[in-house]
Amino acid sequence: MKIVVCAKLAPDASDIEVRSDGTISLERAEWRIGSFDLQAIEAAVRLRELNGGSVTALSVGPLRINNSKLRKDLLSRGPDELVLVADDKLLNADTSVTARVLAAAVQKIGGIDLVLTGEGSSDLYFQQAGLQLGELLEQPVFNAVSRIEAAGGSLNVERSLENETEVLDVPLPAVLAVTTDIHTPRLPNMKEILLASRKPVLEWTLEDLALADGEKQRVETVSLRAPHPVERKRILIEGSAEEAAEALTAYLSKEGVL
Amino acid sequence: MAANTDIFLFSEKPVLQAELISAAHTLTAQTGGQVIALVLGPRPDAELAFKQGAQQVFWLGELPPDRLVDDVVPTIAAAVQTHQPFGVLIGATVRGRAVAGRLSARLGVAALTDVLEFQWEKENLLARHMVFGGGAVRVDRPLTQPVIATIGSGIFDASTSLTETSDTIQSIDWVEPAWQAKLIERRARGGGSVNLAIAKRVVCLGRGVAQQEDLAMIEELAQILSAEVACTRPLAEGLGWLPRERYIGISGAMIKPDLYLGIGVSGQAQHTIGMSESRVVVAINKDRNAPLVAQSDYAIEGDLYQVVPALIRTLKARKGK
Repeated sequence: MKIVVCAKLAPDASDIEVRSDGTISLERAEWRIGSFDLQAIEAAVRLRELNGGSVTALSVGPLRINNSKLRKDLLSRGPDELVLVADDKLLNADTSVTARVLAAAVQKIGGIDLVLTGEGSSDLYFQQAGLQLGELLEQPVFNAVSRIEAAGGSLNVERSLENETEVLDVPLPAVLAVTTDIHTPRLPNMKEILLASRKPVLEWTLEDLALADGEKQRVETVSLRAPHPVERKRILIEGSAEEAAEALTAYLSKEGVL
Repeated sequence: MAANTDIFLFSEKPVLQAELISAAHTLTAQTGGQVIALVLGPRPDAELAFKQGAQQVFWLGELPPDRLVDDVVPTIAAAVQTHQPFGVLIGATVRGRAVAGRLSARLGVAALTDVLEFQWEKENLLARHMVFGGGAVRVDRPLTQPVIATIGSGIFDASTSLTETSDTIQSIDWVEPAWQAKLIERRARGGGSVNLAIAKRVVCLGRGVAQQEDLAMIEELAQILSAEVACTRPLAEGLGWLPRERYIGISGAMIKPDLYLGIGVSGQAQHTIGMSESRVVVAINKDRNAPLVAQSDYAIEGDLYQVVPALIRTLKARKGK
């Protein structure tokens, strides 16, 4: 099985700084592999281990994603090779641009049986790129996939919905977005880290992908700010468990919420 | 502005459908068009949409038991292409997200996800949503039409004032999808169906709860309070103690109860984004520096294994009086 796994390299949301005027800065944020993409990488590598084939990691984004640390981090987790489409025009790419660039890259790689993505990106978490990618490739596409098993020319797939699980037979080629609990991602060992620097990295530009208006944004961001904090009473209740329970009950009774 | 000012809406969940109808009315108040519900399901479901305030209903028919809700995408796409609405609102369930993404790719337009509020800047529609795990609010302007947006449960209040409607249900022809996955089986998951968005009181468990057996104690407390039990994401996804629909936060439920009681909940932004609009927030935590303590009205600093049983006794005694 020839697998592509998409991973977004993005600023770590926990490194957000709020400026005094309420705007936010990501200048000092560290860029990492999306935390929801690690499970997709793990799922791809396990499918290869069980069924043979290859895993190509694919990441698209601004020029800064093309650095040796991130490349090594991706490849030490098991993919055989890495394709990077790095261009600063992709700095604020919306989901449709991202999906179009991914689709063009998957087509250029060619002969792909399965594309895996995470549930959503760690920064924006719109959960859209994988679904749009599948539709652009005109292939079967599903989200919330929590188990994948190869079954001849198709995949036996479990999909975790709000209060039921769907078991599906999905024909290949297909695009699947996996849940965060599909697998626990492994930590790369020293051998894999050393091996990573010898694996091939293909660097493509947007021109290489010959996208017809593929960079055309369909969404414009008007503002990005820290949320307004809600004013709270912030009464800290101390003392023994019994005293605290009595005090809280009295407060809640006064609030009229019991 | 587009020639057509109508708003389509689609949700597989009837409760969410009512909220989308209400959201659609806020948009047509500006665009001047009609609120049109696209309904997939038995005919009574189509009739329900009128009762919920839809001005027109496009009935997509009943889904055969072996087909998937996802198979509706080409049918909705065809209806959108024929009718050219200003916008399409889609309920942000797992399947709804899939429908929205595929529809937007097919139509070559933007998809705005998990919209919390619409605003107008002259004739331009703006949508507010959260990014960076709840750490930032982003306002986006779609540059294409129709505007496709997903909306989660509990964001818009279902309207109680019914509008004057025609009651002619218009049938829409089913369009066969180009590909199809075979449905092998559907398995119900434990925990039962719940709508946290309308709960008046919610007791929420976090990672401070050590083991699954402790759920019994939390459930007893919830029962005395007539509260729903909810949890943070790791308890539903990593540990699987509660079904997914019971976790609060980004990609989960958004709640605004009268009382939120967080037990062993640290209060990461990914969680608090989903409960910050609660009227009264209570935290029980052994660490007074936990972020939720700073965002609560009342916080008990203490061991939940002592505080929760004490609280159960106190509340029981109060009820007995």
